[in-house]
Amino acid sequence: MIRAALNRLIGMLTVMLLVVTIVFVIVRVTPGDPAAVMLGPEATAQDIEDLRARLGLDGSLIEQFGSYVAGIAQGDLGQSIFLGQSVGTALWQRAEPTFFLTVFSLLIAMVIALPVGIASAYWRGSLFDQTMTTLAMLAASVPSFWLGLLLIQSFAVSFGWFPASGYGGPGTTLLERLHHLVLPAVTLGVVSSALIMRFTRASMLDVLNDDYVRTARSKGMTEWRVVLKHALKNALIPILTVIGLTAALLISGAIVTETVFGLPGVGNLIVSAVLRRDYPVIQGALLIVAGLYVLVNFLIDMLYLLVDPRVRY
Amino acid sequence: MHRFKIALVLGAAALSLTAPATAQEKGGVIKVATIGEPPTLDPMTSTADLVGIITQHMYETLYTFDANWAATPLLAAELPEVSGDGLVYTIPLRQGITFHDGSDMTAEDVVASLERWMKIATRGKQTAERIAGIEAADDHTVRITLKEPYAPLVSLLSLNNSAAIVLPSEIAGEDEIKEPVGTGPYKMKERKPDQYIDLVRFDEYKSRDGEPNGYGGGRMQYADGIVFTPVPDPNTRVEGAVAGQYDYIDSIPVESHQRIVDGRTEPVMLAPFGWPVFVMNTKEGVNSDLKVRKAIQAALAPQDMLMAAFGTEDFFKAEGAMYPDSYVWHTEAGTDAYKPGGDTEAAKALLAESSYDGSPLRILTSRQYEFHYTMAQVAAEYLKAAGFDVQLDVVEWATLTQRRTDPALWDIYITHSPFLPEPSLTGIMSDSSPGWWVSDNKHKVLAAFNSEADPAKRAELWADVQQAVYDEVPAYKVGNFNAVGAQSPKLKGMRPAPWPYFWNAWLEK
Repeated sequence: MIRAALNRLIGMLTVMLLVVTIVFVIVRVTPGDPAAVMLGPEATAQDIEDLRARLGLDGSLIEQFGSYVAGIAQGDLGQSIFLGQSVGTALWQRAEPTFFLTVFSLLIAMVIALPVGIASAYWRGSLFDQTMTTLAMLAASVPSFWLGLLLIQSFAVSFGWFPASGYGGPGTTLLERLHHLVLPAVTLGVVSSALIMRFTRASMLDVLNDDYVRTARSKGMTEWRVVLKHALKNALIPILTVIGLTAALLISGAIVTETVFGLPGVGNLIVSAVLRRDYPVIQGALLIVAGLYVLVNFLIDMLYLLVDPRVRY
Repeated sequence: MHRFKIALVLGAAALSLTAPATAQEKGGVIKVATIGEPPTLDPMTSTADLVGIITQHMYETLYTFDANWAATPLLAAELPEVSGDGLVYTIPLRQGITFHDGSDMTAEDVVASLERWMKIATRGKQTAERIAGIEAADDHTVRITLKEPYAPLVSLLSLNNSAAIVLPSEIAGEDEIKEPVGTGPYKMKERKPDQYIDLVRFDEYKSRDGEPNGYGGGRMQYADGIVFTPVPDPNTRVEGAVAGQYDYIDSIPVESHQRIVDGRTEPVMLAPFGWPVFVMNTKEGVNSDLKVRKAIQAALAPQDMLMAAFGTEDFFKAEGAMYPDSYVWHTEAGTDAYKPGGDTEAAKALLAESSYDGSPLRILTSRQYEFHYTMAQVAAEYLKAAGFDVQLDVVEWATLTQRRTDPALWDIYITHSPFLPEPSLTGIMSDSSPGWWVSDNKHKVLAAFNSEADPAKRAELWADVQQAVYDEVPAYKVGNFNAVGAQSPKLKGMRPAPWPYFWNAWLEK
């Protein structure tokens, strides 16, 4: 297990080095200029050149890359061009809504998907199964921005139960901020539940007819125990994978949902940074997101080892 | 019904200006939804409207604009005393003005601020070419000496974007403002980027005497604070308005107007707000030939373009004059060339006489503002009908702002502008502005306009400038369009304005 972990760690470092380089190059070759965005519509070419010099963007790409990598080596992701704060601080401020949004939407997705997926597999072909499979297909096909706007219109506008957007103003308590997260978490939870439900169903179907399940039944175990203890445990690996990947996707910022609900999360930060060409924020945020992806995958790989002793790396 | 409600709101807004003082209530925090996070909070650095809207509450300029768009004193005590030759402007300053850090404003601060403005602001740099020197005549008087008479100076000192704000001298000495310290009625309490900007009443603020008058006159601090929340998605702003989540919502898509009418807030319309414009690249490519530009001018059908972009005539007017008739600058000079329905046959004839060789006419636009893109699509069809090969280059806004600085990359780019109080500040009037319109005639008529101090004579001279724009087609004004926002019925004292402001506004309990 230690050797497997070390092998994975070396792979992770290689991936991160590639990410740093590729993101830096892509960001710089993309058309658009942060100085032009900041200066506004009346700026002349000379104004843009002057501001680029003030922002330190007039150096060669090699120089800029060198100072960027040197900064990362010292744990410094740089300073945002637009936000008046460091990239680290900007990311930290966005971490709270994104973290809670991820946790809540994942919880909602699992609460919907796991029981429904297991029941659909158990009663395969039944009216319940067909209905749930159709609903899952519908949920997977619904664009999250559409579902989000629908929820806003129903629960924020018509009933007035939840705020339409934002994450609370100055002085709001954590509870008030979480209140802002209900509709986006439901939006993401419903959309994510479709994939997890379908994986759960398929995975359970694979194992429900296996010999050990038949053996468990022949030993007189209750169906409840057979399904949840014997079958589910063996079906967990693909389910864990898809839950892990969904979590990673959510952590990296449910970009569309955060935009629709005006949530100041990581996804929103990345979109704004791309639109403004805030190079340090794009680079820093993508580096952190890529790091999280790699880390989640690493943890899932390690979980495989624990869940299934037959797995070897 | 539709127009009736709009009229009601406008009427109510106008009435609120003269509402009795007893109706005004102190307290509460005004919640404002803006179109996004401002790119900077330094209004000298940027000409973006959003920057001006927010920062005008914290920073002040020597002058500002009254309800009729005439310059009026703000931090200056009076309008400047101008020497007979128009070269020396003596500006008396108000006394007892305090910055947010507690220090007193002096002439030294004003001189340092104007020097910073000339160094880093787009409009300041353009003005610097005409300024021989700025000095403090005494602690409360500043003297600006020009190299040549330049009438737009006071208007330039009045604008709230690329603004000549007054800062403490030690801050003015820095390129970057680290802490926002101004003299405005509200000061920064907290900024959480992409979440909110929280301003609170500045208790030591010294308002001018007199009734509010546009951006000028008395500035009353009824609200305890103002919170600006960025809501970049237009649909979310609409839903926030309908739900009554904010007291004021900026920039609502016109197609959502009816939803606002049916919701918990009321629509606010500024009519007219501004003008969409097709800027021509006169420096390089097909549009360097005047006859090609004239052919484009004849081919375009602004009525159809505006209808496609704004839906109903409640929100636009096909008008060629560069200023609507509510402005002193309104003139019909040259507008014979503006054909609301277009003239395809005339365009074909002009194109046949030109050097046009069938190369693609590259229209650079973006979907940042959907009406730009819609107008481009309609324009493309009319141009094709006239014989042009049209290429629509649709990019996002950041790319457009970069590409337009390179004359090799485009022939037309689409933008829009509010009606600026001083016409000479319009982008095409600068030789270095993308489009690069340069001609002897332009320089002649613009010089006469800029050097004339008498407002009545300036209005007459503006007709010559507008005539030159129609004769040489450096840009094509599509028409006038209105801006729609929304406000809570509880928010009182607001006046529709291109850069909405919230001093003088109060929340009814």
